[in-house]
Amino acid sequence: MQEFIQTIVNGLQTGSLYALIALGYTMVYGILKLLNFAHGDVYMVGAYIGYFVIHWFGGPTALSIPVPLLILIMFALASTGCGLLGVAMERFAYRPLRDAPRIAPLITALGISFVLENTVLLLFGGFTRSYQTESFISATSGIHLGGVTINIVEIMVIVVSVAMMFGLRQIVHRTTLGKSMRAVASDREAAEMLGINVNRTIALTFFIGSAMAGVAGVMSGLAFDQITNTIGFLAGLKAFTAAVVGGIGSIAGAMIGGIVIGLAEAFSLSYISTKYADLIVFGILIVTMLVRPQGIFGRPLLQKV
Amino acid sequence: MAQIGVDDWVAQSGGRRDGGSGWRKLLARADSRLGWWPRLALVTLAGLIAGQLLTNVNLQTVAFNSLLYAMLALGLNIAVGWAGLLDLGYIAFFGLGAYGFAVLSSTATGASGSGGTHLPAIESIPIVILIAGVVGVVIGLIALRLSGDYLAIVTLFVGQAFMEVVNNVDPGTLGGVNGIFGLDSLHSFGSQVTSPLGYYYLALVMTVVLAGILHLLDTSRTGRAWRALRDDPLAASAMTIPVNKLKVMAFSFGAMVGALAGTLFAAEQNTVFPTNFTANILILIYACLVLGGVGSIAGAIAGGLVVTIGEQMLSSPNDAGYLFYGLILIVLVMRIRPWRNLAAVLTGVIGLGFAAHALAGAISSAAVAGAPGSGGSIGSAVRDYVIVPANPATYGNILYVVLICALVVIVRLHGTRRLLAVVPTVYIAACCWEARLIVNPSITTQIMIGAILIVTMAARPQGLLGTHRVETAEQ
Amino acid sequence: MTPLLELDHLSLSFGGLRAITELDLHVEDKEIVSVIGPNGAGKSTVFNVITGIYDPTEGHVRLAGESITGLRPYKITRLGIARTFQSLRLFLNMSVKENVKAATYGKTHATPIESILRLPRARREEREVDALAEEVLSFFGQRLMGYRWDQPAYVLSYANRRRLEIARALATRPRLLLLDEPAAGMNPNETHEVTELIGRLRDELGLAILVIEHDMHVVEGISDRVVALDHGVKIAEGSYQSVATHPAVIEAYLGRDPEALAEE
Repeated sequence: MQEFIQTIVNGLQTGSLYALIALGYTMVYGILKLLNFAHGDVYMVGAYIGYFVIHWFGGPTALSIPVPLLILIMFALASTGCGLLGVAMERFAYRPLRDAPRIAPLITALGISFVLENTVLLLFGGFTRSYQTESFISATSGIHLGGVTINIVEIMVIVVSVAMMFGLRQIVHRTTLGKSMRAVASDREAAEMLGINVNRTIALTFFIGSAMAGVAGVMSGLAFDQITNTIGFLAGLKAFTAAVVGGIGSIAGAMIGGIVIGLAEAFSLSYISTKYADLIVFGILIVTMLVRPQGIFGRPLLQKV
Repeated sequence: MAQIGVDDWVAQSGGRRDGGSGWRKLLARADSRLGWWPRLALVTLAGLIAGQLLTNVNLQTVAFNSLLYAMLALGLNIAVGWAGLLDLGYIAFFGLGAYGFAVLSSTATGASGSGGTHLPAIESIPIVILIAGVVGVVIGLIALRLSGDYLAIVTLFVGQAFMEVVNNVDPGTLGGVNGIFGLDSLHSFGSQVTSPLGYYYLALVMTVVLAGILHLLDTSRTGRAWRALRDDPLAASAMTIPVNKLKVMAFSFGAMVGALAGTLFAAEQNTVFPTNFTANILILIYACLVLGGVGSIAGAIAGGLVVTIGEQMLSSPNDAGYLFYGLILIVLVMRIRPWRNLAAVLTGVIGLGFAAHALAGAISSAAVAGAPGSGGSIGSAVRDYVIVPANPATYGNILYVVLICALVVIVRLHGTRRLLAVVPTVYIAACCWEARLIVNPSITTQIMIGAILIVTMAARPQGLLGTHRVETAEQ
Repeated sequence: MTPLLELDHLSLSFGGLRAITELDLHVEDKEIVSVIGPNGAGKSTVFNVITGIYDPTEGHVRLAGESITGLRPYKITRLGIARTFQSLRLFLNMSVKENVKAATYGKTHATPIESILRLPRARREEREVDALAEEVLSFFGQRLMGYRWDQPAYVLSYANRRRLEIARALATRPRLLLLDEPAAGMNPNETHEVTELIGRLRDELGLAILVIEHDMHVVEGISDRVVALDHGVKIAEGSYQSVATHPAVIEAYLGRDPEALAEE
C-alpha cells in the first residue's frame, strides 16, 4: 500500500512535468501545425539555467538567499531565458519556412534540437550535473500520509504545474491574446486580414510554451536532481506522446495525457520493470493511435477539399 | 498564382533559365546532354579509380563509410523524398540489418561464445532484408493510422524502442550494452571479403546497383504514384492511386535498403553496438539527404560523400581548418557581389585580424599567449591573426555565444550594413574556431551537422542537386 | 433501365450540421447534367460523397446498379468515375505528361519488381500509358502538347491547369466525369472553349458528365438536364429553361422577393 501511494505520487510528479512540456508542443502545433522537436531541448536549457542560478547564489550547500526566493529567481530566469530562446527559434528558423513544404520545418526542428544539445555540451561539458536539492530542501518535510512522505518538492511540482495550466487556460479563453491565438490557429490568413498581428501572436505562443518548458526544466532539476545535455530528447518524446494521448491542441488533454503517461511510467517502474518503462509509454501511444487517433479530448479533423 | 494569358512567357521560361552566362551556361548544357545511365557509369568509373588511388587503410575506411552513408541516404530518400513521409525510425532498420546479420553470422550467439550460427552472406542478407521489409510493413500499417506529423513521432519512438530492445532484451543473444563481437566477414561460395578495400569495392557495387534500381523504380508507375501522393495525397487517391498501400510500400522499401546497409556495416566493422544506432546517426543520415537534395538519387549519393568526408576532415586538426576557412571563403565569394565589395570585405577581414591581434598583444601579452588550435600550415598562418589567450576555454565559449548572436543579426541586416557586419563576424568565427571549436572536433561536427539541416532548409531547400519544388497551397 | 449513376436518399451531416439532405439524383449514359446552386449549397460536397472522400450518413450511391457507397476513393475511380477539383489539385512538381501518366496507376499492373527489371508486361504497359497520355493531352489541341509535356505543372497558366485537371481525369478511362467548376476563373474565350470541350467529351468519348458550374451561359450551352441545390436539398430539376425560371431557384439565388429584385 505504501509503495502504491508512493508510486502514484511519483507518477503525478513526473506526469505534471510532462504535461507542462506537452503544453508547449500542443500550443505550437495548434497554431502552426508544426512539431517542434527542439522543445524538449528548451526544457533541458531551463534545467541548466536553474543549475547556474543555484551556483550564482553560493551553491547548494552555502546559499546566500532564502530558498523560496531562490526558487522564484530560478523560475523567473528559466522562463524568461527559455521564452526568449523559443522566440528566437521561431523568428530565425521557423518563420522563414512558414510557406515551405511541410517537411522543411520538421527537419529544421531536428537541426535546432541537435545544435542546442551540442551547444550545451560544448559550453558546459557532457558530465552529469547535480542540483543537490537535499542540501537546501529537506527531503523528509512535507505531508505524511500513512507512512508515505509526500515531500515539499513533489507538492511544489504538482501545485505549480496545475497553477500554470490553469493560468494558461485563462489566457487562452479570457484574454485578447488567447482569442488571437485561437483565431490564428483556425485560419492564419483570415486572422491576418482581420487585423490580428499574426507574427506577434505566434511569437508570444512560442514564448509562453517555451517559458513553461523552462519552468518544467527547473522543477525536474529540483525533483530528479541530475541533469545532462541529453535529458531533453526522451522528455520531449514522452511529453509529445502525452499531448497526442490527451488530444493535440487541447490544454486539458495535455494535462490529462501528461498524468496518464507519468502514472504509466511510474507503475511500470515500480511493478513491472525498470528497463521497459519507455516501451510501455510507446505501447500506450500505439494503442491510443489505433483506438482513438484524435486522443482523449481531441476532435476528429475534417478533411478540407 | 499564375495569371491568365502567360502562355508565351511561360514557354520561354526554360530558355531564360538556361540562358545564364559563362560557365553556368556551359555546365548546364553539358549536364543536359548527358543521360542518366552514362552519368552513373561515369560515377562508377570515378569510384573504381578512387579505389586504386586509396592506398591508406584509413582513407579506404572513410571511402567505405561515405558509400555506406550514400546507401543509407538512398534508402531514406524513398520514404522521405519520394513519398513525403518523415520517417524518423529509419535508424532502427539500419540497426535491424546489422543486428540481424550479427545474429545469423557470428560466434557470439553460441551459449559459451563458441558455435553460433554462420550462414553465408548470400543467405543471411536476404533473410535480414526480408525481415526488415515485413517489420517495415507492420510499422507502416500502424503509422498510417496517423496523419503525416504523428507519423514522425511514432517512428521516432520506433528508433528509441529499438535501442531499448537491443540494450535490454535477451543480453545473452544481443549482447546488451556490450554489443556483439566477432562477426563473420561477408562470405559466400567459399570466398570472403576481409580487407577495407574489398569492402569499399563491395559498397561501390552495391551503391551503384542500388542507385540503378531506384532510378528504374522512380521512372515506373510506382515512382510516379509516390511523387503524386507526396504532392497531393487526396488528388492521388482520386486518381486511382491506393495511397495507403503505397505509403506502406515506401516505408518498407526504405526499411529494406536500410537493413541492407546495416548488414554491410556490421560485416565491415566485425562488431555491432547499440550506440551505432542512436538518434545522432539518424540525424547524420538526414544531413546527407538534405544537403544533397531531398528526392534526388544523385543528391543522396553526393550528400553521403560530402558529409562523411567533411566529418572526417573535421576530426583532423590539420585538415579541419581547410574545410572551415574554405567554406567561409566559398560563402563569401558566392554571396558578395560585385567583386570590389568582395575584395573590400576580404581586406577588411584580414586587416581587422592583424590589427586586433597587435592591439591585444600591446595591451596584454597574456591575451595572445595561447596557440591556435589548428595545426600544420594553417596553424602557423593564423598565429599572428587570431586572438587566443593562454587558457582559451571560457573565452572560446563566450565567443561562440557572440558568434551565434552575430550570425542571427546578419541574417536580419541588408545592404551595406550587412557587408560591414560580415567583417567582424568572420573574424569572431575565426577566433572562436581556433580557441574552442577545433579543440572539440566531435562536438563541432555535431553542431555543424545540425547547422547543415537548418541552413539548407532556410537557404536552399532543394539541397545541392535536388530540383526546385513548389507547394500545394493547402494541405 | 438502370441509370449510370444513382444517388438514393443520400444524406450527410457533419456533427449536427446537415450538408446534404435526402438527395436523389441520377445521370444516364452519355448524359450531361449540371448541378447549380448558390455558394455553400453542397454541390462540391455531393461530388466528395460520390467519389468516396466523405462517407454518406445515410443513403446509397450506385454506379450502373452496383452500390459503391463507402468505397475508398481510388476504388471508385477505378470503377469508372473520375473528377476534377474546384480548387485545382494537380501534382504541381510533376511534369504535364507525368501528371496524366500518374492517373493510369489503377489501369496498370506491373509490380515493382517487373518495373525494375523492365519485364515485358512493364514495358508494354509503359508504352500504352505513354500513348494514352499523348492521346488525352491532344484532346486540347496544341495547348498541352509538345514542349509542355516536360514542363512541371506549376508553370502552367490557370486555364491550362484546368485543362490538365480534365486530361488527368480522362486518363483514368472513366465512364462518368465529374467536373467541378471547369470554367471558373476563365475569360470569355476560354469559357466558350470549355463549353465546346464538354460537348466533345460526350460526343467523341461517349462520357456521361456531371458538372458543377456557376456560369449560366455554360450551363445553358451544355446541359441535358439541370439540378438545383440549396442548403443540401434539391429544389428543382429539369431542363435549363424550367430550372432557371423556377421560383425556388430564383429565390435561392436572389433572396425572398424575386419579383421586386427583378425590377431593379
